[in-house]
Amino acid sequence: MSHAASAVGAGASAPAPASVTILLVEDDEVIRRSVAMALERYGYHVIAAGDGLTGLELFREGRHDLLLLDVMLPGLDGIGLCRRIRETGTDPILMMSARGDALDVVSGLEAGADDYVVKPVDTAVLVARIRSLLRRTTFTPAAAATGGRADQAGSPGRLDQSGQSGQSGQSGQSGQSGQSGQAHQHARLVFGELAIDTGGLEVSLSGVPVALAPTELRLLLEFAANPGIVLDRQTLLRNVWDYGWDGDTRVVDLCVQRLRKKIGAERIETVRGFGYKLRR
Amino acid sequence: MGNVRSLLHWRSLRWKIALLVAVACGAIALTVGLLVHRSTYERSVNDGAAKAYSVLDTALGSTDPDDASGLVHDPAQMPPELVREARAHGQAHVFDESNQYRPEMWASRRLPDGQLVAVSVDMTPDQLSRAALDRHMWKYSLLVLAVVVSLSALAAELPNRRLRQVARTARRIETGDLDARTRMRGRTGDEIAEISGTVDSMADSLRDRVLSEQRFTADVAHELRTPLMGLVTSAELLPESEATDLVRDRVRVLRTLVEDLLEISRLDAGVEHAELRPVDLAEAVRESLARTGLEARLTVDNAPVVAETDPRRLDRILANLVINAHRHGSAPVEVTIEGTTIVVRDHGPGFPDSLLTEGPQRFRTGTAERGRGHGLGLTVATGQAHVIGASLGFSNAAEGGAVATLRLPSTDATHTRGDAADMRRNA
Repeated sequence: MSHAASAVGAGASAPAPASVTILLVEDDEVIRRSVAMALERYGYHVIAAGDGLTGLELFREGRHDLLLLDVMLPGLDGIGLCRRIRETGTDPILMMSARGDALDVVSGLEAGADDYVVKPVDTAVLVARIRSLLRRTTFTPAAAATGGRADQAGSPGRLDQSGQSGQSGQSGQSGQSGQSGQAHQHARLVFGELAIDTGGLEVSLSGVPVALAPTELRLLLEFAANPGIVLDRQTLLRNVWDYGWDGDTRVVDLCVQRLRKKIGAERIETVRGFGYKLRR
Repeated sequence: MGNVRSLLHWRSLRWKIALLVAVACGAIALTVGLLVHRSTYERSVNDGAAKAYSVLDTALGSTDPDDASGLVHDPAQMPPELVREARAHGQAHVFDESNQYRPEMWASRRLPDGQLVAVSVDMTPDQLSRAALDRHMWKYSLLVLAVVVSLSALAAELPNRRLRQVARTARRIETGDLDARTRMRGRTGDEIAEISGTVDSMADSLRDRVLSEQRFTADVAHELRTPLMGLVTSAELLPESEATDLVRDRVRVLRTLVEDLLEISRLDAGVEHAELRPVDLAEAVRESLARTGLEARLTVDNAPVVAETDPRRLDRILANLVINAHRHGSAPVEVTIEGTTIVVRDHGPGFPDSLLTEGPQRFRTGTAERGRGHGLGLTVATGQAHVIGASLGFSNAAEGGAVATLRLPSTDATHTRGDAADMRRNA
């Protein structure tokens, strides 16, 4: 948990989360208004849409840092919207499902969502999820001021300094890679055709840059810090998603699936019954 | 290994069919063998007689003393039957088997002077060749039988395989794979095709029902949770006051009720699947108790045990049991871990008789003194226990108080803590 704690520290000490804009797409008016109000109380700026197409328009305006999408929406639904966004962007996406069944959750994650919550969700839990997700993205207050937000769409994700130190901190926990974590700061890790620039946080496959969503990038870094070592789903849930004991391991499985599609399926190996490992 | 075992399984249909074929083949071989044996014997006797007569006639017609040397003139040296027959009919032949190692064929004629003259022919070569024929027949019958039985056992493998496929499919359906089908419908019009067709259509209707139930549950979940979400979030926005507390409390109760109901309907629909992993039982129980925020005394009776279970479901079960103990029983609530068995005990009036006999019933909290609640908690706990393969039993302690006993399956995957650590390291 030291990783989470330090990262939370970095996030919570940010004086003005008001500079974080959340694009909320939710068709139920009461939820839309109450969630917007609740999030604003936590200092976030919320722009809201009542259906998928309006949500897509607002997304294209690019004023947001994070998307909060309901699954069931009139017109273009949350999953379709998520897929459309992922065609071009790597923006952090949090899905809200009222059904909470495999269909909703799995399709949402397959479409590229970084995480999901099941309604009804307490605002505190929602905010914790949002914070965890934001920590995985390019966002820092400083970066926001200098146009970090504009970088959002299109550019591959970047981790801020605090995220990076969290990363090396926790990889230190798993032993062996404490020093290498430091060395990673500006290192270029190469695994076959896959190259990861841990300083610039850029990933390329056979020299072609790969655009990874923040969670995918964070997951890949987690694997890259422990090459050849089996990481179980619980560890990944804790280190990447900041889940305690109650995370849904499907989140990990589906994110690994998405990552495999981008960096080659054989790079991440499934160790049945245990978890995954990065093939050196 | 399994193949060999199934091959040797003597009750298998394969061996029954093979036995049937063996009996049929044996009966045919025996009948044919007997007929052949008889006709060979008769032919041998006829040929022998003809030969004996020809030897006799040659000897009688010849002047060569060598030829006549085999002639017997003394009736005392002839078989009595031959003498009788020859005297009566002028000529006769008798097959004499009195010496089993040297059977003889006798032929005799009555000479015009009334004297009998006879000759005997050695039939040993004939007997030997007949015996050889019998041996051959036995040998080849047994050989063919062995081949036919093996072939029929192999041929029986085809329907056997189809039957096993049906059994396998039915088992898969039973374990919840509703897409399992035999896919043998209409291939051949026999009884196996019929039963597999029936299994398939049964699976179809089962899946349709489960799917429609799942859809309904999911729709109900959506319809209930959407307004509830608005309610929960709005209630959080209310300014702090006594009235707000009342509203929030009711929202919380409503939310628990909705979640319990949805959980029960998911459990009923059988769509819940355990996500097993090694869990340090004492640790998991301790954390689980802490999360309930209720008073419970934990006793661990043995070395730390790592059980293969689903921690989220285990937490649900424990939370429900402890909450139930506090709500309907009275303090102190004691939780004991013994091996893979977890006992939750309170010191209240104990479970009502109806619960002990019928198990938990929805919306029935039993007697008035059991207090408030919807009676869903124990239903949820029982359902979740079923999902993780555990058994949940309810009883009352002799000195009063309700006792809920959760027995986790103790599998090979149950290790001491060190083993689990090894497992992780080795992986």
